[in-house]
Amino acid sequence: MAAIGVHLGCTSACVAVYKDGRAGVVANDAGDRVTPAVVAYSRNEEVVGLAAKQSRIRNISNTVMKVKQILGRSSDDPQAQKYIAESKCLVIEKNGKLRYEIDTGEETKFVNPEDVARLIFSKMKETAQSALGSDANDVVITVPFDFGEKQKNALGEAAGAAGFNVLRLIHEPSAALLAYGIGQDSPTEKSNILVFKLGGTSLSISVMEVNSGIYRVLSTNTDDNIGGAHFTETLAQYLASEFQRSFKHDVRGNARAMMKLMNSAEVAKHSLSTLGSANCFLDSLYEGQDFDCNVSRARFELLCSPLFNKCIEAIRELLEQSAFTADDINKVVLCGGSSRIPKLQQLIKDLFPDVELLNSVPPDEVIPIGAAIEAGILTGKEKLLVEDSLMIECSAKDILIKGVDESGADRFTVLFPSGTPLPAQRQHTLQAPGSISSVCLELYESEGKNSAKEENKFAQVVLQDLDRKENGLRDILAVLTMKRDGSLHVTCTDQETGKCEAITIEVAS
Amino acid sequence: MLLLPSAADGQGTAITHALISASTLCQVEPVGRWFEAFVKRRNRNASASFQELEDKKELSEESEDEELQLEEFPMLKTLDPKDWKNQDHYAVLGLGHVRYKATQRQIKAARKYFVTSAYEMLSDPVKRRAFNSVDPTFDNSVPSKSEAKENFFEVFSPVFERNSRWSNKKNVPKLGDMNSSFEDVDAFYSFWYNFDSWREFSYLDEEEKEKAECRDERRWIEKQNRATRAQRKKEEMNRIRTLVDNAYSCDPRIKKFKEEEKAKKEAEKKAKAEAKRKEQEAKEKQRQAELEAARLAKEKEEEEVRQQALLAKKEKDIQKKAIKRERQKLRNSCKTWNHFSDNEAERVKMMEEVEKLCDRLELASLQCLNETLTSSTKEVGKAALEKQIEEINEQIRKEKEEAEARMRQASKNAEKSTGGGGNGSKNWSEDDLQLLIKAVNLFPAGTNSRWEVIANYMNIHSSSGVKRTAKDVIGKAKSLQKLDPHQKDDINKKAFDKFKKEHGVVPQAENATPSERFEGPCTDFTPWTTEEQKLLEQALKTYPVNTPERWEKIADTVPGRTKKDCMKRYKELVEMVKAKKAAQEQVMNASRAKK
Repeated sequence: MAAIGVHLGCTSACVAVYKDGRAGVVANDAGDRVTPAVVAYSRNEEVVGLAAKQSRIRNISNTVMKVKQILGRSSDDPQAQKYIAESKCLVIEKNGKLRYEIDTGEETKFVNPEDVARLIFSKMKETAQSALGSDANDVVITVPFDFGEKQKNALGEAAGAAGFNVLRLIHEPSAALLAYGIGQDSPTEKSNILVFKLGGTSLSISVMEVNSGIYRVLSTNTDDNIGGAHFTETLAQYLASEFQRSFKHDVRGNARAMMKLMNSAEVAKHSLSTLGSANCFLDSLYEGQDFDCNVSRARFELLCSPLFNKCIEAIRELLEQSAFTADDINKVVLCGGSSRIPKLQQLIKDLFPDVELLNSVPPDEVIPIGAAIEAGILTGKEKLLVEDSLMIECSAKDILIKGVDESGADRFTVLFPSGTPLPAQRQHTLQAPGSISSVCLELYESEGKNSAKEENKFAQVVLQDLDRKENGLRDILAVLTMKRDGSLHVTCTDQETGKCEAITIEVAS
Repeated sequence: MLLLPSAADGQGTAITHALISASTLCQVEPVGRWFEAFVKRRNRNASASFQELEDKKELSEESEDEELQLEEFPMLKTLDPKDWKNQDHYAVLGLGHVRYKATQRQIKAARKYFVTSAYEMLSDPVKRRAFNSVDPTFDNSVPSKSEAKENFFEVFSPVFERNSRWSNKKNVPKLGDMNSSFEDVDAFYSFWYNFDSWREFSYLDEEEKEKAECRDERRWIEKQNRATRAQRKKEEMNRIRTLVDNAYSCDPRIKKFKEEEKAKKEAEKKAKAEAKRKEQEAKEKQRQAELEAARLAKEKEEEEVRQQALLAKKEKDIQKKAIKRERQKLRNSCKTWNHFSDNEAERVKMMEEVEKLCDRLELASLQCLNETLTSSTKEVGKAALEKQIEEINEQIRKEKEEAEARMRQASKNAEKSTGGGGNGSKNWSEDDLQLLIKAVNLFPAGTNSRWEVIANYMNIHSSSGVKRTAKDVIGKAKSLQKLDPHQKDDINKKAFDKFKKEHGVVPQAENATPSERFEGPCTDFTPWTTEEQKLLEQALKTYPVNTPERWEKIADTVPGRTKKDCMKRYKELVEMVKAKKAAQEQVMNASRAKK
């Protein structure tokens, strides 16, 4: 069963397909795995992708970029106002909706942002179907965590208009987790994952909790002022100053020259992720003068270090905000094209020294792959999501058990972690010395981290008259079942004798 | 490594206090298979373990039931549950005697004789319908025409009754009997011809959709099944159709209705024919009357004419008599006057003259003369008479002169005509005439010994074999010149007809439409005037052959003529000159040979 996952970002779009149990990104007709989310309007055609992006030097006023930033927003939205101010393509309000005013020479067209998104989606659909060889159009689309209802609807409608059958809209960080299959293999596990997404125009960091294979966003932070474009901009500014130094011309005021420099800087930036140095060469950049400049990776890192610091600072803030330390994070997932930058990866690694940094999947492909996997899970399912199923009951507190370690000090172990979707059942095999004839399981509940106190003890289970065993350990099986209302049922069984004790603890009303 | 502590003495299993906090609602991401599994579980409103437990319980109850039942109905034991498709589910449910008439409640009630597949089959209205459709006890046969010859109603009534169960509409019309009205029968057949059957054949599907492992396979199976179903449905419709057709063709009522209809039509036809005949008769009568009237009118007219003629005749007679009388009177008066002479000869002459008078004079003048003769003296009478005679004689003379002049004119004309065709002995055929015209045109005036050349040309080219001299030719040409131009045109036209006749049919000339050229000046055939001719000749001399753009320049010098016209004219002239030279040479040769 083939299914498609599409990620439409501000600067680029990427499509992955799920086929025969595997998800993979599909290259478009130009051979690129990522398609620039740029649409250029000319007299009688609409160009999507790289061609549109390359032609923007000449056709800037009819080239729509970063459409995602305005999609589903109204004119009084500050984000939209900011976008309108920055956009090179004229945006006007018409009939209460924001539209692009496209002047192709013959007539003036008014284009909805949804139409622009539709064109990009159509392109992605073409790409996917040409790779699949079938007309499968079941799709899962990713949206940023901060997308509102209107924006989601607009995006979904645009995809529908492109001929997609939208199975579900999922959040980008969740897709990233799914791409790495986190929590999917061992469902009883609980872990915290940090998702670092540095896209074309924004940085968004989320802390996710994975419990029983179900993802929860604990906290998230988005900064619209850091992104791949800003790195490029910084590099372009540097190149401009270099040009000024050697030719005594300031090209910063010349939009076309700057656009050329931006294009060149972007290429150089990409090379610097893998190479030590990159060459920028531009024919007749300004008044017929050619420009040739070599940028080393060190130079680039130096230039962008304020931006990198901002990224790291954002992570720190988020951790602080959610009362986590770096040790509480079990994994870090990198996504977004700009997280390829080696320096950035290095900085993150430094921040989480003991944590696995997941970057085996190319960061700009993580999200669509996750979407494709989700699409694969969803295709063929008849009943899709009901709205209220997004809210589910979870256990509020950790259930711990007190034991002693080798040294004889009291130790607590979590038997039933907080945040477990209910109803749930957890089994643990605990061990007791064989020399004792009775075993006591003391159960505590706690919110914090292993900071159980005596008053938090709520029950104890005692197994008595067990067969004594010289040297050796006895296995006690503890089964904890919690219902949706939070009441807990505990069964303890001695594996050798089969002696069993069970209690049910109700919730204080 | 965590080890559980041992229980202190007196410690037992106990609950210190209830859990402080209940479960909390958390928002989760709708992602991943565990989420799907969780939602599915929750939608079924039971935890996985509980569900399992309940399932086990149900299963054991069912098996008990079945055991019980199998003992009660030994027949069921013979049934192979795997072979459920070939089982009679009504029989299994103990509803064999009511079958398709069984209500849903009956079937529900029959559930105590639970047999899983049968119950499932018959409790679901769709599946039940599918099974009903292929009810094995149903007699699909259609009576043939021959069986129904004698007892139509006995044969067909139960068949229609049987098949009416498939109808989507309730209140299926009955076949009825011999006394059913036409409307009823018509309604019956129109219902059956438009029979709307709910019978479907999904039950007979060879492959089960549910067995498919993936959607594609399911689709394929569905497609297969659809095709076979459609085929069966078609057969079923055919069956119904033949049934109705057979019934319709055998139905004595239809025959009856048809005959009635036929009789009715016949009667109508007859009435129509009668009406037509009557109309025709009336028409005939009218025509006769009109004819009669016309005839009468004509007779009357004739009568009138005759009357008039009679009248005219009478008048004429009267006049004649009067004239006779007057003549007699004249003669008598002349006699009384002794013919105004004593001399016998004179008298005879006078008598002659008087006779002449009598012959010629009108009634009025005769009367007048008689008056003068009778009322006046002999001398006056004589004078009057003589005057009359004189006048008459003058008249006669004039008439004679006129006649003579006419005669002379006539003879003159005759002479002229014969004189015109002086060489009438040599008849000129149409061909020769044409040839002559051609020759005359070919050798215009001014040609050296023109007429001889023409004659020679004629002799050479004529097919008539008549030898003509120059004189003949001149005569004929002159007479031809006298003819008006119309005649010439006629001759020319005839020439073309002749040409066609001689050369047989010229096919392309008949039907092929020539490609047209739209060039104005080319079409007018205004003849060349001498002035133009002169100018042309002058121009031809002025611009020798090797002048560049010679014809443009020539055309410029001749006003009103295009380059094309000039070229054409030049070609004609050249041809003419050539022909002339050839003919002259022949004449020269001939004269040389004579010498």
